[in-house]
Amino acid sequence: MHSHANEGANGIGSSVGGSTEGKIRCIFLSEFHATAGCKISCQVPDNYISKEVFDAINVYIIPKQHLQRCILTVNTMDVKIVGYPVDIQDQQKYARNAFLFNLCFVCDSRARSVQYEPVVKKLSEYLIMMEEESCFLSREDDKVRLQNIFETVLRDLNERKVATIVEGDNTIYLKIVMHKPDPPSVKDHMVPLLLVNFRNKPLENWDLTTQQILPYINGINHVARIAAEADVETDLVKSCIQNLVYYGVVQLLPILKYSNVYMTQNLKHLIQSTALSNACRKYVALNPDKTLPSVQKIFQFYASMTHGVTLRAICQRLCPQNHNIDERKLVIFGLQHKFIRCIHKYPVFTGSVPSCRQKMYTGLISFDEICCKTGLSPYTIEKDIEKDTNVTVIWK
Amino acid sequence: MEVNPLAVILVYFDSKGDRLLFRYPTHTHQLGEELTLTSNKKKRNPFAVHTDDHDDQTPNISAAKSQGGQLQGFSDDVLSTLFAVKPQLCNQKFELKLNDVRFVSHPTLIPHKEQRPSNAGTSAPSTTSNASSTSPANAVANVAKKQQMLINIVFALHAKASFSIVKCYHELSKRLGVALKFEEQRSGYLTEETSQMARTHDEQQPVERTFELIAERCSLAQALKSIYHDLCTTGLLSTTLNQNLTLSFCLPQKAHQLHKKGSMVDPETIDRCLRSLKPYHGMLLLVDFAELLDCVPPTGARMLLQLVEVYTPLMSLQSMASDADLGIDHVYKLVSHLVYWAKATIIYPLCETNVYVIAPDAPLHTKSHLVEKFSMRFAGMSLFEVISDFSLPTSIGHLTTPLQQPARQGILAQMVLWMLQHHLLMQLHTYVQFMPSDDADEFSDAATAAAQPPGSNYVLGSCGNLTEDDDDPLHGGSMLSMSSQPLPVPHIHRRSIQEDHFSVGDGSLASDNIAVQPSSSHKSNFSMTASLSTDNCDEASIDSMDEQKINELLQIFDDADRAAIRRIPASLNIDDLSLMVKLYQMGYFKSEHHLEEIMYFENLRRSQLLQLLDKFRDVLIIYETEDPAIASMYNNK
Repeated sequence: MHSHANEGANGIGSSVGGSTEGKIRCIFLSEFHATAGCKISCQVPDNYISKEVFDAINVYIIPKQHLQRCILTVNTMDVKIVGYPVDIQDQQKYARNAFLFNLCFVCDSRARSVQYEPVVKKLSEYLIMMEEESCFLSREDDKVRLQNIFETVLRDLNERKVATIVEGDNTIYLKIVMHKPDPPSVKDHMVPLLLVNFRNKPLENWDLTTQQILPYINGINHVARIAAEADVETDLVKSCIQNLVYYGVVQLLPILKYSNVYMTQNLKHLIQSTALSNACRKYVALNPDKTLPSVQKIFQFYASMTHGVTLRAICQRLCPQNHNIDERKLVIFGLQHKFIRCIHKYPVFTGSVPSCRQKMYTGLISFDEICCKTGLSPYTIEKDIEKDTNVTVIWK
Repeated sequence: MEVNPLAVILVYFDSKGDRLLFRYPTHTHQLGEELTLTSNKKKRNPFAVHTDDHDDQTPNISAAKSQGGQLQGFSDDVLSTLFAVKPQLCNQKFELKLNDVRFVSHPTLIPHKEQRPSNAGTSAPSTTSNASSTSPANAVANVAKKQQMLINIVFALHAKASFSIVKCYHELSKRLGVALKFEEQRSGYLTEETSQMARTHDEQQPVERTFELIAERCSLAQALKSIYHDLCTTGLLSTTLNQNLTLSFCLPQKAHQLHKKGSMVDPETIDRCLRSLKPYHGMLLLVDFAELLDCVPPTGARMLLQLVEVYTPLMSLQSMASDADLGIDHVYKLVSHLVYWAKATIIYPLCETNVYVIAPDAPLHTKSHLVEKFSMRFAGMSLFEVISDFSLPTSIGHLTTPLQQPARQGILAQMVLWMLQHHLLMQLHTYVQFMPSDDADEFSDAATAAAQPPGSNYVLGSCGNLTEDDDDPLHGGSMLSMSSQPLPVPHIHRRSIQEDHFSVGDGSLASDNIAVQPSSSHKSNFSMTASLSTDNCDEASIDSMDEQKINELLQIFDDADRAAIRRIPASLNIDDLSLMVKLYQMGYFKSEHHLEEIMYFENLRRSQLLQLLDKFRDVLIIYETEDPAIASMYNNK
């Protein structure tokens, strides 16, 4: 599904994380020393994991045979340590016939650490390779180079989520990829909206499908229309958009119609945050050269949205254009920041045996979707439902 | 389901070494199928002789120790060494993630009871046939007299389990530890149970059989087994340890799914909802009376009974408290407890004027089990027909007319309660935001003023106008041209419904409105209002006392706001103005408090408040939305 993820989306998508996403606090290498036993041989920053803590948990850092080469995360004593214990068997090289080590990332105990697991594993694999080639880890004297690697990794991963280190003949590439829940499936009637920070990206940086459909993604066109106008197959458009949603490049909104009904929620956030209200004023301005619309007018417009009042009715009453407000942008901004939500209409068939189109009236398929699927005008369907005594309409 | 535990494991550790005494489910191969595991370990022969360095000094035990039963690819002895944690890690949260499994526990150090339990001897004969195993077991009991033992009840969860789920399981493990510590100190229960389990292990049975035997013989194992089952089915558990100590626990993420499938209510969400509990809120029970008492220990039941006796969804917590002769703080605690345990939910007390609308996530579709449930409960009624009345915000008062028989209203109230219990309906409230229009200062151009129909600030009051406007073909046509809608949609004429209380308010306001009307409907808003107010001043010849008082009241506003308020004729009325200023100062006009709350705390009548809001509508924006505290319990899309 993410196969045609483009580079731009990949890099920036990972920055959209949950609130519990935590930085890497420390990186250390622990090894089983032939005489001294378990110890930390290299740590950045120094002494982040104290001797006491390490002694309490070293069982989980250098574990028994059975747990080698699996990702092991231990979370206790207010630290969370992600490790990948490794043993390299070699009777000639090592005093105890094997070299046991573990490269660990340390986070705060409340932070998420899943995203670091592949990185820990990958960096460990690099270290295994370097150890096997040149005894990079087991040579006593050479911890300064390792220290430098750790410092770079810690800094770059925390700041840029990507790190590239050249060490001797090897180049180490690391990247943090955030795990996110699967995006919902994209349907014909949904409208993709490109988020602001991707607006000015040069077109040639996107993958081919995205390049083709991107000009038609404007927060107004729905998926079926984008497919038709861009002359790309609908299913391809859908999976491309789903991919963009996953990486946080676009957001899916309900189709904008003047017959739509919206409902406010948490509207107070708009006033409570000056930054947000200023962003809103700038965004919804019809003509950015004129005086920006006032917060009062914008708030009034949002406040008018309630069940049973269509967007058209509000526009007629408040004349947004006279106040330099673009009502379409206002709706988009509201949906995007969740001040408003669209109230959808769901026809429900309550009779006994549904015939052809009635089969769609399950209460799960919204009016917009039915229009898109059948290709009929909302007016036709509206009349059809009104005639049919077995169909009830639910708004939610 | 990431909420359900994969297994519960009991690990024991003392001077003699560590041992996995019990785990449930005993048949781990089923678990293995459930999970796709990336473990690279081979299955080990369950009968192979194993030498564990801890057990070296007691060869009898180690030879008899059966092993190889695996939890997701890890053998029992690996798990046992992992969870026999160092003493430094005891009595705090311990979390370990191995591949796809997350283990959560609270290792607890428990001192052995000083005297050997008297009944340890009586349980010994059951295993006397196996002489080789009883003697070391007794020896363990002898030696361990003054030592501490470590007990670790570990829950294996899916790695995906969220932070709050992990926290709940940790809490459960902690409580079990505390309970076992108590029972050990009271009667040596733990020593007895663990040695019984150890003896069963020593009987050299195949590993699956051993755990089954333990589950038959040991009451602690039975308790763990029932805990596991309760967690998987309801999320509510009430287990009695040693026939003495009752442990009650609720896993809210699971328990709240009973009433609403697929929802995941975090304890954090519940806390947020409960923190905003106010005396005017009401409670709605979700379960039958009999089920209520499950969630409280018998000692706490008295107060709950007192409360439930006077319970009705029509009353506020405050009046229930006074009827039940309980302090409001006690009522809060009881209600919080019931909400946490998914036995009740918070509502605004049911009354005729409450406005309800269909919840955005209501599971309303033809295949829903609720449809049948509803028609079972209310014979001959269709859920869809009833609930479609709430497609637009509607109150019970509005759905009933005096012409119908009174019983109908009762049934309707019952149906609304049923729908609230199933989270199908949501209540809307009216909020007020103080926000004078800024462009009035700029002597707004005629176009703006003209374009604004009368009373445009007062959203709800002008609903009547709306319907007319909507029919106007002139306005309608021009708006339709843009947007990428599939095809144009006809007008919708479904907003005739207006809430009861608002129409009442409007009616009583009729006389007041006459004076205000010309100002707002006139072309040039500002000049007219100004002249009107000066006229008023002259005619009424307000003495300087009043003028001074008005000025004093308006001190708290900045210049622009003050000017806006002064333009409103009602600001000349000292009573109105001082009430407005008072409510403003109390912070009621910041979208934080709904009308019902203002009414409750300021002891105002609805009509009083609505009149005031209408008089000052030019500087206030009034709108309807859901109570954020209660709405957080709904899964908003």
